[in-house]
Amino acid sequence: MHLEGRVPHLESEVAIQSDAYIDALLNGHARQPIRLPGAAKSLEPSVRHVIRVLDRGLPRFHPSFLFEERLAAQLRVAADELSSDAPAALDRRLLMGGALASGVSIGAAAMLAWRRRQG
Amino acid sequence: MLRRGKDRVAVPDNLDVDRSAVERARRDPRAFDALYRKYVAQVYSFALYELRDSHAAEDLTAQVFLRALTALPRFREQREGPDSSFRVWLFQIARNAISNERRRARRHPASPIELASEYAASDDVQATATDRIELERVWKAIEQLPTDRRRALVLRFVNEMSTREIGAVLGKSEGATRVLIHRSLQSVAGQLGKTQKSGLHRARKRAAN
Repeated sequence: MHLEGRVPHLESEVAIQSDAYIDALLNGHARQPIRLPGAAKSLEPSVRHVIRVLDRGLPRFHPSFLFEERLAAQLRVAADELSSDAPAALDRRLLMGGALASGVSIGAAAMLAWRRRQG
Repeated sequence: MLRRGKDRVAVPDNLDVDRSAVERARRDPRAFDALYRKYVAQVYSFALYELRDSHAAEDLTAQVFLRALTALPRFREQREGPDSSFRVWLFQIARNAISNERRRARRHPASPIELASEYAASDDVQATATDRIELERVWKAIEQLPTDRRRALVLRFVNEMSTREIGAVLGKSEGATRVLIHRSLQSVAGQLGKTQKSGLHRARKRAAN
C-alpha cells in the first residue's frame, strides 16, 4: 500500500528525521552529533525518548543451545535427503530424455518406412 | 538473550549480503547450515515477540528454517536490493507462519520484557531497574498498537532492519513503512504522556486526601 501520496509532506519529513535518528542510534553513533536530514521540524522530545528506550531496552533472544543443535541436526538430515534427491531427479530427466529420444527415432523410422512403401 | 549492538554490521542498502551463501546452499543443501546459524536467533526473537511462548517460538523457528531449506531452489532475487534479500524472504516465511499459528491458538502468556528479566544480568542494578520500569511502560503502550505497527517496531529495534526491508516483509512501500513507524512511536509517546498525567493526578488526589 502506498501511503506517500496521502501523507502530509511535513509528516513524511518528520518520519525521515525519526528514521535517521533510529539509524544513528542503531549504528552506535549516538554519542556523535546526529545529522538529521532536512531538519524542517525537530523531533518531539517524547518521540525521541521512546526511540532511546526501545534502542537501549528491547531485548533480543537466543534459543537454547540444545534447541539450536537439535534443529541443526534436523536440517542436516533434510539437506542430505535433498542432496540425494538431486542426482535421482537428474537420472529421471536422463531417462525421460532417453525415452523421448528413442520415441522420436522409432517414430522417424516408422515414417521413413511408410514413405518408402508409398514411393 | 543476546547483548544488543555487538553484531551490528553496516550493510549497503542495495546488496544482499547472503547472495554467495545462498548460491552455495542451492548447489549443496548441506551448506544451508551457515545461513541457519546466521539467522536462527533473529527468527527466534521475532517469533518470541509475536507468540510470547518459548516452545511455540521454537516450533515456529523450526518450521521456518525447514520450509526455507526446501523452498530455497524457488527463491529468486526478483529485483536488486533488500526487497528480495534472503533475510527479507526468511522473515516473509516467518510472518506467514505466525499468521497461521495465530489462527490456531491465541495465547500471550508473558510479555517479552518479563521473559527477558529471566535472563537479565547487569553490572548496574539500579540503572537496570529504572530502565526496566520505563521499558515496561513503553512495552505496555506498544501492546495497544495494531499488529502491523507493533511488528514494524520489533523488526526495526530488535532485528535492526531498515525501513525498506521492513516494508518488503510487511508488503508496504518504504515511505509508508517509515510513516507507519513514526506514527507508532507518536502513539506510544502519547500513551506514555497520558499514563504520566493520570499517575500525577492520582498522586495529587492522594496527597489532597
